Amino acid sequence: MRFSGWRVLREGLTGNKGWRPHWRDPEPKSEYDVVIIGGGGHGLATAYYLAKEHGITNVAVLEKGYLGGGNVGRNTTIVRANYYLPGNSEFYSHSLRLWEGMEQDLNYNAMMSQRGIINLFHNDGQRDAAVRRGNSIVNQGDDAEILSREQVRELAPFLNFENNRFPIMGGLMQRRAGTARHDAVAWGFARGADMRGVDLIQNCEVTGIDVENGKVVGVQTARGPIRAKKVALAAAGRSGQVAAMAGLTLPIESHVLQAFVSEGLKPIVDHVITFAEGHLYISQSDKGGLVFGSYLDFYSSYAARGNLPMAEHTMESFVAMVPAVSKARLLRSWGGIMDMTPDGSPIIDHSPIDGLYLNCGWCYGGFKATPGSGSVYAHLIATDRPHGAATRFKLDRFRSGVGLMDEEGAGAQHNLH
Amino acid sequence: MAELIAKSPCDGLLPATIGGMSLTEEHPGAMWAIAPFNGQLKVLGKALEAAHGMAFPAPNRATGKAGSRAVWFGRDMALLMGPAPDAGLAKHAALTDQSDAWAVVRLEGQGAEDVLARLVPVDLRPQVFKRGHTARTELKHMMASVTRTGPQSFQIMVFRSMAKTLVHDLKTAMEAVAARG
Amino acid sequence: MRITCPLCGERDRREFYYKGAALVRPAEGADLDAWHEYVNLRENPAGPLDELWYHEMGCNSWLKVTRDTATHEILAVQLASEAGLGGEK
Repeated sequence: MRFSGWRVLREGLTGNKGWRPHWRDPEPKSEYDVVIIGGGGHGLATAYYLAKEHGITNVAVLEKGYLGGGNVGRNTTIVRANYYLPGNSEFYSHSLRLWEGMEQDLNYNAMMSQRGIINLFHNDGQRDAAVRRGNSIVNQGDDAEILSREQVRELAPFLNFENNRFPIMGGLMQRRAGTARHDAVAWGFARGADMRGVDLIQNCEVTGIDVENGKVVGVQTARGPIRAKKVALAAAGRSGQVAAMAGLTLPIESHVLQAFVSEGLKPIVDHVITFAEGHLYISQSDKGGLVFGSYLDFYSSYAARGNLPMAEHTMESFVAMVPAVSKARLLRSWGGIMDMTPDGSPIIDHSPIDGLYLNCGWCYGGFKATPGSGSVYAHLIATDRPHGAATRFKLDRFRSGVGLMDEEGAGAQHNLH
Repeated sequence: MAELIAKSPCDGLLPATIGGMSLTEEHPGAMWAIAPFNGQLKVLGKALEAAHGMAFPAPNRATGKAGSRAVWFGRDMALLMGPAPDAGLAKHAALTDQSDAWAVVRLEGQGAEDVLARLVPVDLRPQVFKRGHTARTELKHMMASVTRTGPQSFQIMVFRSMAKTLVHDLKTAMEAVAARG
Repeated sequence: MRITCPLCGERDRREFYYKGAALVRPAEGADLDAWHEYVNLRENPAGPLDELWYHEMGCNSWLKVTRDTATHEILAVQLASEAGLGGEK
């Protein structure tokens, strides 16, 4: 079933009776070439690229709940490639390029909107850091520009330009950045993988990983054992538990990050805007809701909900930056489980167990990485060599201390990144 | 040599009277942190009693009376307010002069608990937080010390550099409570 | 979430700073693997976890708090200095 304007027209004229489910609901087979644990954005994208780029289609994606029910459905939908350090820089650049062709590639409307991101700066030090980061982004081949205070005012006149404590001196803008409809990203990859023969198996919790003589041979699941030549983790905040099934301890703490949506308002925020003093990020959804978030709650949590002090801090930051929103009502909030590493950068690597692969540690930057992560992870699984855009996401960098990518310069404490 | 003009932390900011409540600056005199050395708590207690006529306060308590008080100030620490500490105490405790480091105000009147309930995440109602009780806590993101000094009065302290914010936050809360009638 | 400080009593989460898992600090001269485990690796359970919290806005004590990471329930609190986590007594 391909989507097109013609198809929409025809269905509209014939009572919308011709639409079919976007993917099958298969029974698990007894054996696969590759089993991917986790049916979220990264797992589904990995399955898609395994099939599309490497011709590996005897693949199962095992999902504990329903597809896209984890972090890919619990984020603030921001897509960008404005990282500074080598390793992250080329990877997110690769990912953004995939975002740009993704909807055509998938024949699926993911509402990709390159509305641009503006990182505000409020003092000289932040401005210098923004210039340095901007140069690095341009060097990696992406777009970045420094906006003056007046240029920011022209694009976002609703910001508080009178705030003495956090004066807006300007912003670092990346025009190719933006947002995408998070659920649709998962659905698009799911459909694309399914069409190429991948089995997407929901309600299928993995309960064990079978290892024989240092090599992975399969998994135990709620729907019976499944043998596999290769097993690939894509379990985000639950990576620790899944890795423990294979006897591995990861350098990961799971933390809760809250996000918030206001009631629907008329269009006011045309871009993604971040506030450097309060680490706040905002955008406006097509339904009109202001989507925003700030820091982690800072304590380990699997509860998928946060506490009031951080909610209060986030609202205070928002009101400081945009006083007009003090009159808006908060519609809802939620928490996602973030797999935090000691340097704030992810891991895409072999595990010490033959045939078992790791893709984890996305901290709170996993959404923008979705297509990039899927493509480089598929490359690793298919070829057993890292993709050129992901050569530095090594597991052993934490033990050796060589090749750490600490964008925040916060040191080895998981929750500070 | 230049003649320095001594100014109290809330100089020019207080007093204020709002809705039957008053907010005034306190001038407690000397303020010294007393931190007993390891295992010296008992001896120090006796020395403090002998020199200044008050016990070393247990956690969450203040001893002494107006003009000469020892306020529990955190783990293994009290703040002596009023007299400068007797030199003999230095044998049993680390003494640190903090005399001009704190803004000290007094909030008094009907509704004082309601004002603090807006700013402090601790239950300060009289049935729970009685005269002579003290708390190290936060007041609208500021590290604070709050002590009940009477049926409707509290001594509130934050770092001196935050005096203006303290007064602003307290007055805003007083106005809000007063507006409820 | 409220934590009962052994000195101050029950207090709101906002008075505390979070450090992470309460691990026994390796002895001086411990090998790289011991430090790697201490600094980087985490059991990261979805359930009871021993953690270090600092009563930053209260009495300034470091606390060892046992907390359920799946429910946020606080199960036990003690002074970290009495928890045998290594370092100088």
